[in-house]
Amino acid sequence: MTSLADPLTEIRTPGFLRRLLGNLSGAVGLVIVVFFLVVAIMGAVGITPYPPVEQHPRERLQAPSATYIMGTDLFGRDITSRVMEGAANSLRVALISVSLSGAVGIVLGMVAGFVGGSVDNWIMRIMDVFFAFPALLLALVVVTVLGPGLTNAALAIALVYTPIFARVARGPVLATKEMEFVLAARCVGMRRWRLLFMHILPNILAPLIVQISLALSWSLLTEAGLSFLGLGTQPPDASWGVMLSESRGLAEKAYWLMIFPGIAIMLGVLGFNLLGDGLRDVLDPRMRGRH
Amino acid sequence: MFRYLLRRIITYLPTLFGVSVLVFLAIRLIPGDAITATLGTEAGMLTETQRAALQRYYGLDRPPLEQYVYWIGEAAKGNLGYSIRHGKPVLELILERFPLTLELALLAVVIALVVGIPLGLLSAIRHNSLLDLFGRLFALVGLAMPSFLVGTLIIYVLSVYFKILPNSGDYVSFAEDPSRNLQQMFFPAVTLGFAFSASVMRTTRSSMLEVLNEDYVRTARSKGLFESRVITQHALRNALIPVVTLIGIEMGYLLGGTFIVEQLFALPGLGRLVVNAISQREYALVQGAVLFVALNFGIINLAVDLFYAVIDPRISYD
Amino acid sequence: MQKSIRIFIVVAFLALVAVVPVMAQGNNTLVMARSADTTGLDPHTQTAFASFRLLELIYEPLVNLDADLNIVPGLAESWAFSDDAKTLTMNLRQGVKFHDGSDFTSADVKATFERILNEDTGAAGRANYTSIESIDTPDDNTVVFNLSLADVPLLAAMTSLNSAIVSSEAAESGDFASTANGTGPFKLDSWVPDEKTILSANADWWGEGPYVDSVEIRIIPDESSILAALRAGEIDFAILNDPLIATLLIDDSSVTLNKVPAIAYHVLQLNPSRAPMDKLEVRQAMSCAIDRQEVLDTASLGYGTVTGPLTIPAYTVPTDQYFCYTKDLDKARELLAQAGMSDGFSIKVIAASAEPPTALSEAQNIQSQLAEIGITVEIESLELSVYVDRWLAGDFDAAVALNGGRPDPYTMYARYWTKDGNLQKVSNYIDDTLDSLMAQGRAETDPQKRYEIFAEFQKHLVEVAPWIWLYNDFEYTAQQPYVSGFIPMPTDSLYSFSQVKLEGKGG
Repeated sequence: MTSLADPLTEIRTPGFLRRLLGNLSGAVGLVIVVFFLVVAIMGAVGITPYPPVEQHPRERLQAPSATYIMGTDLFGRDITSRVMEGAANSLRVALISVSLSGAVGIVLGMVAGFVGGSVDNWIMRIMDVFFAFPALLLALVVVTVLGPGLTNAALAIALVYTPIFARVARGPVLATKEMEFVLAARCVGMRRWRLLFMHILPNILAPLIVQISLALSWSLLTEAGLSFLGLGTQPPDASWGVMLSESRGLAEKAYWLMIFPGIAIMLGVLGFNLLGDGLRDVLDPRMRGRH
Repeated sequence: MFRYLLRRIITYLPTLFGVSVLVFLAIRLIPGDAITATLGTEAGMLTETQRAALQRYYGLDRPPLEQYVYWIGEAAKGNLGYSIRHGKPVLELILERFPLTLELALLAVVIALVVGIPLGLLSAIRHNSLLDLFGRLFALVGLAMPSFLVGTLIIYVLSVYFKILPNSGDYVSFAEDPSRNLQQMFFPAVTLGFAFSASVMRTTRSSMLEVLNEDYVRTARSKGLFESRVITQHALRNALIPVVTLIGIEMGYLLGGTFIVEQLFALPGLGRLVVNAISQREYALVQGAVLFVALNFGIINLAVDLFYAVIDPRISYD
Repeated sequence: MQKSIRIFIVVAFLALVAVVPVMAQGNNTLVMARSADTTGLDPHTQTAFASFRLLELIYEPLVNLDADLNIVPGLAESWAFSDDAKTLTMNLRQGVKFHDGSDFTSADVKATFERILNEDTGAAGRANYTSIESIDTPDDNTVVFNLSLADVPLLAAMTSLNSAIVSSEAAESGDFASTANGTGPFKLDSWVPDEKTILSANADWWGEGPYVDSVEIRIIPDESSILAALRAGEIDFAILNDPLIATLLIDDSSVTLNKVPAIAYHVLQLNPSRAPMDKLEVRQAMSCAIDRQEVLDTASLGYGTVTGPLTIPAYTVPTDQYFCYTKDLDKARELLAQAGMSDGFSIKVIAASAEPPTALSEAQNIQSQLAEIGITVEIESLELSVYVDRWLAGDFDAAVALNGGRPDPYTMYARYWTKDGNLQKVSNYIDDTLDSLMAQGRAETDPQKRYEIFAEFQKHLVEVAPWIWLYNDFEYTAQQPYVSGFIPMPTDSLYSFSQVKLEGKGG
């Protein structure tokens, strides 16, 4: 390792965005993610062609047309509006679960790696308990105990992902804490927490950012899986996962019920992954110079 | 080596203990019990005496702590309890269903490796080429499809366009009829392996890109070694370490998480056994199966660590 | 690397080459699929529809139902009530044997009912038989039930599998957890829970048939996959619960769909013990605000019939005679105003997440319709056992339910709408009119008079609106064209498997 590049400084420099856009994956990913953010915000504040839960029973199961661009469902609800509301709810689950598991997992992992000894042992043992517990069952139990719903589904997903963040954060901390700059900082008497969060964290940010983008896409899919089991976002609200699982019995008669939320979820996952790829390429100093 | 193994096993015991407490509490926190699960709304027609008789029958008349102490004590001796519904010891049931789930997970891993590694390699070597782009697109599509959707589509296409469906509730084990078994396992394994091959591809690609940039690979190149030799002899070996980690995590996940695919393809595996046990409130079965999955998870982690030593001679466990 | 490629090629080759339908069973095996398995093998303690569908092939009750829900001979050939309806005498069929070879006699009948009435058994239908005071067995083929009160519906209750006859030996000391010894057309060979059940034909069965050698029941948990298995020709017969999936077969010429109106009914149960549903006008307003046909159209694609409380064909009342069966928003608002609730209110409705498959759809449409008169409905979707727990405790404002029907009005509703009904804590509503009409109906033997009594009972029940009855849909089964002889039943019974033939079933 020749230079000690600091990804936080990287992000602050004006060249960062230009470099991210210069990276094909990063650019495409960013465009998709921003697009979905806009759609999700529109869905969340209610800028949709129709209210997403408004039923038009006489116009149920209509194929896409000028009135209903993506068609209507069993209740005559407008699919376009529901895909937009779904964007808001799916992203909400993804953001809640990833920020929760990210915050808790990264802090625990870093503390474990940095302090070491029995603290490390205890934290990682507890993380192992959750890691070793079958993920789907963990989610199933959490949601069954707390009751189904968007927030509880997000909590369940967060619980599954926390140990992964802890592991991802702990490894690089172990490697970094023996590095010269850290030893030097300790010698000059820098406070441990300041050292951990101001100096070590920026150095291990690259793998974490990649993990965050993966976790976002993973949680979109897990929410879909939970919805398939009836444990995700609750009716009448829509999420992409709910729409997909609702469409299973009807897709033969009404393909539009599956196609549009299907495309949405795939694009969403695609966007987060591409963005993650792009960020890694741009942030990882070793990747530099290959573009 | 032996001492290393012993130490690993001992350090895993607290984790298993934690899992046992967690599952014991979790399953009891869910409202409803074996009586309401079996009788449904008709449970309301029972008299008090009838209800008490049923509670005794299902062993629900003891205080929870007593139940836990008894269960964990027996579990330590290898007795995971008895399933009333199946009329069999829990361990026997688990061992009956586990081979299916293991086979499914292994086949998914094989498919993922066979598709993911070559694609990842090519993608890394021809970095930023059209091939790279297509490879990555495949990977992303694979990652982006929920497995219940992939499975649903496969089943629909097979039954409507080909008029076949190898998975129609008549599962035969590999020992009974290998060809029939593989034919039944193929599509479920593809369903699982599709998404997994995408993550293998991505991991291979990125770690290969890193390795190709390392000094020793540059050295090998500058010594005039053929590119293909550089890649297979030097780069790949090192690039595979993260892939092994990934497989370890994924195997652990698959062994407890093939439920959706087992459900769609009517396969009687461990996942369905546990989820059915949860809805039937068969406490002993849920507890036993989760403990078993956690044990497997520990074994896989250990196997992954040992495998590092095989790939990379610099790593050794003494 | 190389090795794994080779393994993969072998696997792929085997998988693709071998994808040829394999004949696992002989040609005369009826292969059937369904999504849920029996919860156990004891006919007296099972209540799930899924359990009945297996056990009714193995065990038989004293009397059966025909496709019009008339009571017809089963193990009893004939029967008669005394004039005061306090004694029921039955003549048993002769020459009937249990699967273990022992003879069926009146002693078995006596032992069966004693087992059901013994509280330690935990028998599900016990409440229906508590009028039995004593049982006499003057000879091997005659049973006399002495009743504590006039109980005409007892006979209909005896058609239930919950009073299927077991051998006296089994009743006293039998193992009902893993064995089954009945008198029915099929014997249990093996049961692997949630996987597969194998039954073989009972050659000594007293009736004509069975014509198939064996029945194989497979559990395919996902109904889309059952549909796929039918289309692929892998199975002969299937039970389908999800109307959205079943009705896909209407336009499919290669598979035959059987549908028969069900006696189970979809209902929105209100909880009159909770405000504001304790006010009659509020409940009536809700009843007036819901277009029942619209619930049926959206949840079940319109396949079904709007119904009142009784779904038994002999007891139905034209819906135009019911209170507010035509949606009337003005009247609903007026009623709300009378109750002082014109600003509307909020309630939570519970629904089991997939039981029935249409539950959440019904809830969503009801939510949308009640919003029109200012009632905000929040839907709580619950896992089935959690739902049952809440339902039994009466812990809900309102519940979307699919309740099972019975062949007799009294056995169907006594649990809810009599003063000492076991499920009063669920229904939370009773008045003198309902209670006395029930008592009259229980003692009346004349069919026309019984109809009048229960017509009045239904009209009153709909008007006081503790529940809002919605619709009954169809019981769906599907079969390959070569399957013949199956008689679809409103109870969804598979008993007529004994008459099924598989002529022309290919490989």
